[in-house]
Amino acid sequence: MLGTLLFLLIILPFLAALGCYLFRMAFLRSLLVVGSGVVLTVCSLALIGLEPFEFKPPALLWLNADIVVSVLDFALLFLILYIGFRLKNNLIKFLAALQIVVMAYLELFMMEHGASHAAIRCDTLSLVMVLIISIIGSLICIYGLPYMRKHEQHLNLPRSRQPRFFAFMLVLLGAMNGLVLSNDLLYFYFFFEITTLCSFLLVRHDLTDIAKRNAERILWMNSVGGACFALAMMWMYPTTKTLELSAILQMAQGSNLMLWPLALLILAAFTKAAQTPFQSWLTGAMVAPTPVSALLHSSTMVKAGVYLAVRLAPAYHGTFLSTAVALFGAFVFMTTAALAMGQSNAKKVLAYSTISNLGLIFACAGLNTSAAITAAILLIIFHAISKALMFMCVGTIEQKIHSRDIEDMRGIFGKMPLVAMFAFIGALSMLLPPFGVLLSKWMAIEAAANNIFVIAMVAVGSAFTVVFWTRWAGVMSNFPSGRPEPDHQPFLTIAPLGLMTIGAIGVSIFAPWIYSHFVSAAVPAGADAYKISAGVFTTLSGAFWVYPLVVLMAAATFLALRAARKSRNDPHASPYLSGLTAVGPKTFIGPMDKPVNIQASNYYMLNVFGEEKLTMWVNMGALILLAILLGGAL
Amino acid sequence: MQFIKNFIAKSRAKSPWIMHFDCGSCNGCDIEVLACLTPMYDVERFGVVNVGNPKHADVLLVTGTVNPRNQKVLRNLYDQMPDPKGVIAIGSCGLSGGIFRDCYNVVGGVDKVIPVDVYVPGCPAKPEAIIDGVVKALGKFESLRRAG
Amino acid sequence: MIIKYIIPVLLGVFAAPILGGLISGVDRRLTAWLQSRYGPPILQPFYDVAKLFGKKRNPVNTWQVFCAWLYCTAAMVSVIMFMLQADLLLIFFVQATGATFLVIGALSAVSPYSQIGGHRELIQILTYEPMLVLVFVGMYLVTGSFEVGTIAAYDNPLLIKLPLLFVVLGYALTIKLRKSPFDFSTSHHGHQELVKGLTTEYSGPHLALVEIGHWYEVVLVLLVVSLFWATNIFGAVILVAITYFAEIFVDNITARMTWRWMLGRVWFVGLAMSLANLVWLYAS
Repeated sequence: MLGTLLFLLIILPFLAALGCYLFRMAFLRSLLVVGSGVVLTVCSLALIGLEPFEFKPPALLWLNADIVVSVLDFALLFLILYIGFRLKNNLIKFLAALQIVVMAYLELFMMEHGASHAAIRCDTLSLVMVLIISIIGSLICIYGLPYMRKHEQHLNLPRSRQPRFFAFMLVLLGAMNGLVLSNDLLYFYFFFEITTLCSFLLVRHDLTDIAKRNAERILWMNSVGGACFALAMMWMYPTTKTLELSAILQMAQGSNLMLWPLALLILAAFTKAAQTPFQSWLTGAMVAPTPVSALLHSSTMVKAGVYLAVRLAPAYHGTFLSTAVALFGAFVFMTTAALAMGQSNAKKVLAYSTISNLGLIFACAGLNTSAAITAAILLIIFHAISKALMFMCVGTIEQKIHSRDIEDMRGIFGKMPLVAMFAFIGALSMLLPPFGVLLSKWMAIEAAANNIFVIAMVAVGSAFTVVFWTRWAGVMSNFPSGRPEPDHQPFLTIAPLGLMTIGAIGVSIFAPWIYSHFVSAAVPAGADAYKISAGVFTTLSGAFWVYPLVVLMAAATFLALRAARKSRNDPHASPYLSGLTAVGPKTFIGPMDKPVNIQASNYYMLNVFGEEKLTMWVNMGALILLAILLGGAL
Repeated sequence: MQFIKNFIAKSRAKSPWIMHFDCGSCNGCDIEVLACLTPMYDVERFGVVNVGNPKHADVLLVTGTVNPRNQKVLRNLYDQMPDPKGVIAIGSCGLSGGIFRDCYNVVGGVDKVIPVDVYVPGCPAKPEAIIDGVVKALGKFESLRRAG
Repeated sequence: MIIKYIIPVLLGVFAAPILGGLISGVDRRLTAWLQSRYGPPILQPFYDVAKLFGKKRNPVNTWQVFCAWLYCTAAMVSVIMFMLQADLLLIFFVQATGATFLVIGALSAVSPYSQIGGHRELIQILTYEPMLVLVFVGMYLVTGSFEVGTIAAYDNPLLIKLPLLFVVLGYALTIKLRKSPFDFSTSHHGHQELVKGLTTEYSGPHLALVEIGHWYEVVLVLLVVSLFWATNIFGAVILVAITYFAEIFVDNITARMTWRWMLGRVWFVGLAMSLANLVWLYAS
């Protein structure tokens, strides 16, 4: 039973990917993607209640699973090395070679093989991650089906590239499931590298010059992370004599010898989660088709980074490293939110917002109290849903209006009301009570209140967040009076969007239940960081009303909606244009009695928050903090 | 319910927010309009606020002659004021076009374009007269109260 | 049950706007006095709002109606939560919800005046939000709680331990009340470069809702001010009165500044003062 579930969760996506790659029929592909989505969802749900468990992967035919993973790992590294040669990129060559040498030394000369161990381990944290990956990831893949069809219609390719696209998407899901379920760092590393390779291939998908360039950047930046990971394993092995995560976590507590390898692992997590100064790979990844961005941002890839940090949190509890991670995370939260302020490119806003939220998760992991870890895990959940929703909405809108600029989304409510509503709810779910993201932000602020610098940066960062989300929501609703024209989207587009919207609202409402059933058990040491009574999260220092707020805000929204419905038949006024409103609502009477279009645009404050102005300083600050982090660990 | 209705009706008379539009005045009447708001006359005593925005205004004060160019603006501003509303034409020019009445580019008084409730004569109209005009316009709201 | 829940809720729903309206009336009277005018009756704000309710509905679009309602109700909910002694951060988040919707409503209108007003309001939110969070953190560091009840029950006036944070709150208060020099998202007088900015496109009953929402907000912010002298009701009232008079005074002697000046100035001075005050608390 357990074996079957794990097989379905980890190996099945690989097999389905192979199927997608080999059989080029669109119908079969849809069937495979939807089918594996359903299977993944069901299996991840079936896993609930079975945790915690350990599992020894059985020998495949006559081969030990460990050996298979090691061999594949080397194959993967050589593949990356080969890609490095193909791209003539010395950095990738060097990093891949370094990893090969380190891994070879580790596996051939240091490690004692053969000892049977449980390479797969599932506790509640892993389970939460599996649920996120399997459910949200599958929905994104399904959403990708109609998206990619439309995407290729514009490109006029001689031969469809969809088979490989969906193959890599599915591989990414399988690899992520493997990653969060691995207990052996070698397995972890293997899956870690697969996600790197997959995102490289997916971002490269369109084969435009910019896509190729940005994909190359993904590969080298994440190879830095991979190299750190490999070095960390080599470094810690003499001390720990094992690479089992659960054993390492126990050994590391209070051991100063482990700080350096831990710091390297954290660095690997930072690169994976695109924290500054590595943010450019994720912002560059925006050239990929939107399902890729949605997948990378919400449930896979970057979440591997924060998962690692949260997983390792007990190991560096109470050390300087922990404080440094908190400071670094808060710094990233603030600065990348500031960078998002200066963006009018919707996908870039989303990218920076993702990096920013991941920064907050790192900050929480660094604060390392049970309350903070709770905040981190909840934020992983809520962020995954809201971000997936936002990306899918932006993708749908982009295919309709052929632009991803926020300015071009002005009045999108009039053109595609349903999708605009979803996007509106998605944007608000990132910043307003009683939505879950705010709940975790509240937790983060209260947990950070004892560290002045962290709290100051979190306070400033969350103000930035409010501005750029509100601005966007406002632009989408910018709409002269009248009924919006209905818009027809394929079922496979609307269904994932609708489900995700319901999910975003649902998880927020059931946050207390999610906390007491999943998250509290996933928080190491101190499961009762929050007491829950009648849907209110209570600590010694404060309380977050979930149910009461849901009721109050629902009542307020109901009243507002009723008033809005009623006023649909009111005479609608023309906008105030100094008395020069022309016939159309968006024009005024200009010189020579000619109508002139109104031009209004958002404040982006480019000379303060522009990417060119800010990025250098942000990277410098981040490097200094990283130096402090690594130096302090010594 | 009746109490609320009465209070609203009473409030109409107590809170006339004005909007001043200069159609093409020589600025004499405009200065007198603004003089009403100074500490000397202090019309805010009666709840009068110069809002400068048709969407918030109850009373439109118009000075100057109407010409073909600005009559659209006048019309538009008037249309953008939510009901109930009143219009006060101020000064000789606003009343009839004044000495510019027969010019080739003059349409005439304000009432050629929008319905006017109160006419305040003078060249320029005195602040006292303008205040009296506003009070008269409030009479329109009063009659609304009696009717409604 | 009645004393613990119903009375505070009723106070929050009904007493707060009445108080807010009266404060607004007194504000106008005092402003008039400072300008050697006589000024409107104290009840003037109520006449204004009643009149606005009596006007015909004429919104620019349905979003605006939705947003006006949510602004008002969210502001009301935040006051109710304060009366029920909830978590200050949470109260403030709910209030921010209202502020957000007010901006969305302004941005939903096509008029550029309303758009610019909305954006300026966002910058105002950006400016005061971190300050308020830091003030609450200061309260937490002194009293060990973010909850209104516990903070109010602290045995010494917070002002003694948080003098600098009180000044920071003053900045936030000036911005929140949209008083000079920070009144650039909307203004109380017409004939300005952005007409009425944020509220340009709200009209009639919807403007009335915005006005009532603003009263709730004013009351909420003043309640936060009163927490700085919560040991004694007279102390609290006097502190609030002095603070509010200072606001009116500042309003009358300063000119409107630019957002750049506000953001730079308030963040620089505000963050420096907040951090200084928080460091004291750590040190002691």
